[in-house]
Amino acid sequence: AQPTPWQTDLQPAASGIMHEIRWFEEYTLWFIVPITLLVLALLVIVALRFRAGANPVPSKTSHNTLIEIIWTLGPVVVLFLIAIPSFQLLSNELIIPKDTDLTIKATGNQWYWSYEYQGGKELAFDSLMLKDADRSKFGKDDKAAYPRLLAVDNELVVPVNKTVRVLVTGADVIHAFAMPAFGVKIDAVPGRMNETWFKADKEGLYYGQCSELCGKDHAFMPVAIRVVTEEQYKTWLTAAAGNLGAANKALMAATDGKKTVDVASSAN
Amino acid sequence: MADGHNRQHDYHIIDPSPWPFLASIGAFIMAIGGVSYMRYLSAQPFELFGVNLANPWVFFIGLVLVLYTMFAWWADTIKEAHEGHHTRVVSLHLRYGMIMFIASEVMFFVAWFWAFFDASLFPGEAIQAARTAFTGGHWPPKGIEVLDPWHLPIYNTVILLLSGTTVTWAHHALLHGDRKGLINGLTLTVLLGLLFTFVQGYEYAHAPFAFKNSIYGATFFMATGFHGFHVIVGTIFLLVCLVRALKGDFTPKQHFGFEAAAWYWHFVDVVWLFLFFAIYIWGGWGAPLAHG
Amino acid sequence: MASNHDHAHDHAHGHDDHAGHDHHHAPGFFTRWFLSTNHKDIGTLYLIFAIMAGVVGGALSVVMRMELQEPGIQIFHGLASMVYGFEGDAAIDGGKQMYNVFTTAHALIMIFFMVMPALIGGFANWMIPIMIGAPDMAFPRMNNISFWLIVPAFLLLILSMFAQGPAGGYGVGGGWTMYPPLATSGTPGPAVDLAILALHVAGASSILGAINFITTIMNMRAPGMTLHKMPLFAWSVLITAFLLLLSLPVLAGGITMLLTDRNFGTSFFAPENGGDPILFQHLFWFFGHPEVYILILPGFGIISHIISTFSRKPVFGYLGMAYAMVAIGAVGFIVWAHHMYTVGLSLNTQRYFLFATMVIAVPTGVKIFSWIATMWGGSISFRTPMIWAIGFIFLFTVGGVTGVQLANAGLDRAVHDTYYVVAHFHYVLSLGAVFAIFAAWYYWFPKMTGYMYNETLGNLHFFIMFVGVNMVFFPQHFLGLAGMPRRYIDYPDAFAGWNYVSSIGSYVSAAGVVVFFICIIEAFMKKRVAGDNPWGAGADTLEWQLSSPPPTHQWEQLPRIK
Ligand code: HEA
Ligand code: HEA
Ligand code: CUA
Ligand SMILES: [Cu+2]
Repeated sequence: AQPTPWQTDLQPAASGIMHEIRWFEEYTLWFIVPITLLVLALLVIVALRFRAGANPVPSKTSHNTLIEIIWTLGPVVVLFLIAIPSFQLLSNELIIPKDTDLTIKATGNQWYWSYEYQGGKELAFDSLMLKDADRSKFGKDDKAAYPRLLAVDNELVVPVNKTVRVLVTGADVIHAFAMPAFGVKIDAVPGRMNETWFKADKEGLYYGQCSELCGKDHAFMPVAIRVVTEEQYKTWLTAAAGNLGAANKALMAATDGKKTVDVASSAN
Repeated sequence: MADGHNRQHDYHIIDPSPWPFLASIGAFIMAIGGVSYMRYLSAQPFELFGVNLANPWVFFIGLVLVLYTMFAWWADTIKEAHEGHHTRVVSLHLRYGMIMFIASEVMFFVAWFWAFFDASLFPGEAIQAARTAFTGGHWPPKGIEVLDPWHLPIYNTVILLLSGTTVTWAHHALLHGDRKGLINGLTLTVLLGLLFTFVQGYEYAHAPFAFKNSIYGATFFMATGFHGFHVIVGTIFLLVCLVRALKGDFTPKQHFGFEAAAWYWHFVDVVWLFLFFAIYIWGGWGAPLAHG
Repeated sequence: MASNHDHAHDHAHGHDDHAGHDHHHAPGFFTRWFLSTNHKDIGTLYLIFAIMAGVVGGALSVVMRMELQEPGIQIFHGLASMVYGFEGDAAIDGGKQMYNVFTTAHALIMIFFMVMPALIGGFANWMIPIMIGAPDMAFPRMNNISFWLIVPAFLLLILSMFAQGPAGGYGVGGGWTMYPPLATSGTPGPAVDLAILALHVAGASSILGAINFITTIMNMRAPGMTLHKMPLFAWSVLITAFLLLLSLPVLAGGITMLLTDRNFGTSFFAPENGGDPILFQHLFWFFGHPEVYILILPGFGIISHIISTFSRKPVFGYLGMAYAMVAIGAVGFIVWAHHMYTVGLSLNTQRYFLFATMVIAVPTGVKIFSWIATMWGGSISFRTPMIWAIGFIFLFTVGGVTGVQLANAGLDRAVHDTYYVVAHFHYVLSLGAVFAIFAAWYYWFPKMTGYMYNETLGNLHFFIMFVGVNMVFFPQHFLGLAGMPRRYIDYPDAFAGWNYVSSIGSYVSAAGVVVFFICIIEAFMKKRVAGDNPWGAGADTLEWQLSSPPPTHQWEQLPRIK
């Protein structure tokens, strides 16, 4: 998916993890919004009830052990209620499933991503932000499906409902590989091989952006992942080994062809 | 005390002083000069508003200015002590000040030790591919020959420990009004400090690894070098105390300058023990020894 | 060595003390402001410096917001060609770098040269000795070098913006966090060296200041003032000073390694020679997290006084308030890696930092609720400082609770390095620390200057600023959730709407700053005499017993605390 104008919440989930993150985010709001409103309400109440006009003689109270215990223990309880599902979420994110179907290595460069399909069919290519001048060359004139700053020349292509393991590293400085709809964000650190994973549960074209300051073109090295059916993926992979451009065009014909304009919203 | 008219406390209200302002000018020149110097050393330009500032000498102008203000400042402090401004509560301030200063220095060393342990405890983590390739998965990294801790480093340990006792001797002498003991103890301590620096310098000159291009050399020289710098500062501090002792500055009751130097010296001593055990002994375990 | 030396000393010192003797209370301009050893004069210098730095830092942020007002690159290519003389495509590239330079400088200036000098150098310097019944700071001369060191530090930072940075660009564009390798091999020019030395010098200034405050507060409290009777502002500054003392040297060590990696070929952060870029992040945040509490704790202290003064009630749960700050300070040292959830920390490490971080919400909650309880039952007058203080409590809570969300590593994964984080920290900084600064400004302005400010202008300043900053930063929560990364000069068109609102908000905030200046000028023009204690019975700390402004040397006879 991609962000939409005036959006106020997290991007729609396209993976199980992101579903959990979205749930957890809303769950925390159930605590923090009431707490904030409680503070606001208390401030309004004291402001009204205890303004000099309404209460000319101040009280002298400066202690109340019971209330102090309550407002210490109250937050402790709230924090436990937040922490329990939080730990669960964290474990789910970080424990990489044993049976991954596919491993991809993503390398952050100043300022583009290189991808490498590992094991089985080997394939490696660079993915650069799409320049406006190159739109028609890549058949990506449709700005709704291929938005400015998000679209790339060669998307990463993965099969739907498969567990993809991603190895992430940086070639020069630190970058970060991020895909909001999948709940993925991991730094691409030179000299380190970080690992993460995702299992996209909806076909479509998904966008993310480099998320660690990496120099002047930090804003211009998006991540784009195309999630397709298993067969489409296989066909593409075989073709791509020979001619990436042609394979991409063929794949686009198969996916965008039916509902070009809908790609973004269908994933929503 | 200029405002002596109705002052009824023992605090020291200091007169306006030119040193802080001058020192800040010195610091500025030193910082700009530092960049100029570093650029000069690596043969790179340092252009600011079209002027190339890479050169080796501005730094030293700043340094001289800073050293001069330090000297003048402390000279003032000593003078004020003689004038009796260092009342009991003011001495207590100075004690607190020195302890806090040493505490901050300890945290400085924490940074070097952190760097050292980050590399030496985890030389071969799977995700740190590049580091593992460099170290061969163990510490010290493959191909590194280390210094034999039971050679010069143990001598230096003994030298420093000895100097810790001589400075204590001097302190006891001072407390008992034994000026000769004080001077002898201090002289010995300063000499031991110089000897340590000399041995360390010799060891550096013959070290089988460099500051550059290896995490081993980087952590080794940064930690021991920063310590060495402290030894030099401490030696100067003690030397100043020796000069003051010769002039008869210290009394059994009032000698905070000496105590501060002694505290500093003990601190330097303790840091060395950590360096010796962590970096020389543990950090060099199992690696081939350099012979030279 | 008692104090019977005064007389002799008067004569001995006559020659190098032009201000001495009879004219002691009227030293020359240069002596008074450049060679000062008076905590109030030095405090004033700090405040003036902080205001100037605040204007510079604020101006940088408004330019950033102008750039972000609409998608596409609006102004930075033009700025780059104006300032650096780039042309054509080079101007675009230079402009992209320049945006990052602005962000970096904005953050460093606001933190090191505005908030810290205002709260610690300014208000604490002015008020701590007075409040604890001391004639001055413990080390009055060292106090002055703390001030005079931040001036060259600031100059070095400004100069860095004009020195070569990355290939084909100027300045430090690595963010205030300056992570290597972007700050080492990624930015070979000397700009980074200048910025590093700026931080060294500013750090030295703060460490000396911290030593001074700790010594002053531990040793110079008036007879009878035990730690447990000490005003909360003094508590807050004591704790802040300890945080500074113990965290800054670690930063200094980290940036020294950065410097040697850059200039002497070391490999602390260079993985190809066994180093580790993540090491720097640990060192930075081991300082950086305590630093954020350094920025807010003095504000906590100030807010306590203001709330109590204008409610005409003693602070509720004084001891709890003091020890809550101790707890915040202590726990603040063991949570640093919550800024590093995405670097590839192990599951257990993240679990630990998640939990430790959340713990801080408990003592902070104690503070928030105790402030409200202080107001409860009070007789509240809504003078300008009080309005700022109430604004602070609410807005800080908003920033605090989003912090608690971020503490959850699993959720932080989604919003890390997005505008959600930017919104969080501006709520605690620009709407927290800055509100505390303005509250303190109006609270102590009559005391420091002897003049009363105009209440209407003060209120106006508050309301414009309140609307402005909320408009800037509330929408940034939405942008962050939707996925807009931070440190971006340009963003996908879908983010245009909220960015526009945010930018307009920054112009409103800037208008608020203008009203702030009008309010100051008006007060100095009208010269309404404030009197010793304009706030009445609620203002019970020692500064209100002195004249306004206080005498050059207060407490020549130490006050006694019952
Ligand atoms: C004044 C500065 C300040 C303060 C006080 C805080 C306070 C807190 N911060 Fe914040 N933070 C910053 C300044 C500050 N922060 C900055 C500058 C950054 C970004 C740095 C950068 O990357 O450039 C940052 C980033 C940051 C991150 C990293 C985000 C990321 O990069 O992905 C995290 C994560 O844990 C975090 C957490 C917290 C928490 C838990 C608190 C807590 O202390 C908040 C506690 C307060 C409350 C919770 C509100 C009051 C409490 C109650 C009313 C009681 C009841 C409440 C509950 C039970 C929830 N902060
Ligand atoms: C105290 C800290 C502080 C303050 C006050 C502010 C204030 C503001 N900030 Fe700042 N900001 C940071 C700290 C701060 N910021 C940090 C740490 C970053 C991260 C940088 C990085 O990524 O590396 C950041 C980044 C940042 C960004 C993100 C840039 C990016 O990621 O690309 C933006 C964008 O809108 C922004 C905007 C603003 C605006 C509009 C204000 C407005 O509120 C400004 C209005 C002006 C004022 C509120 C100041 C008025 C004060 C005075 C005049 C002094 C008064 C003094 C006395 C009375 C003694 N800031
Ligand atoms: Cu690559 Cu940011
Ligand atoms: Cu933090």
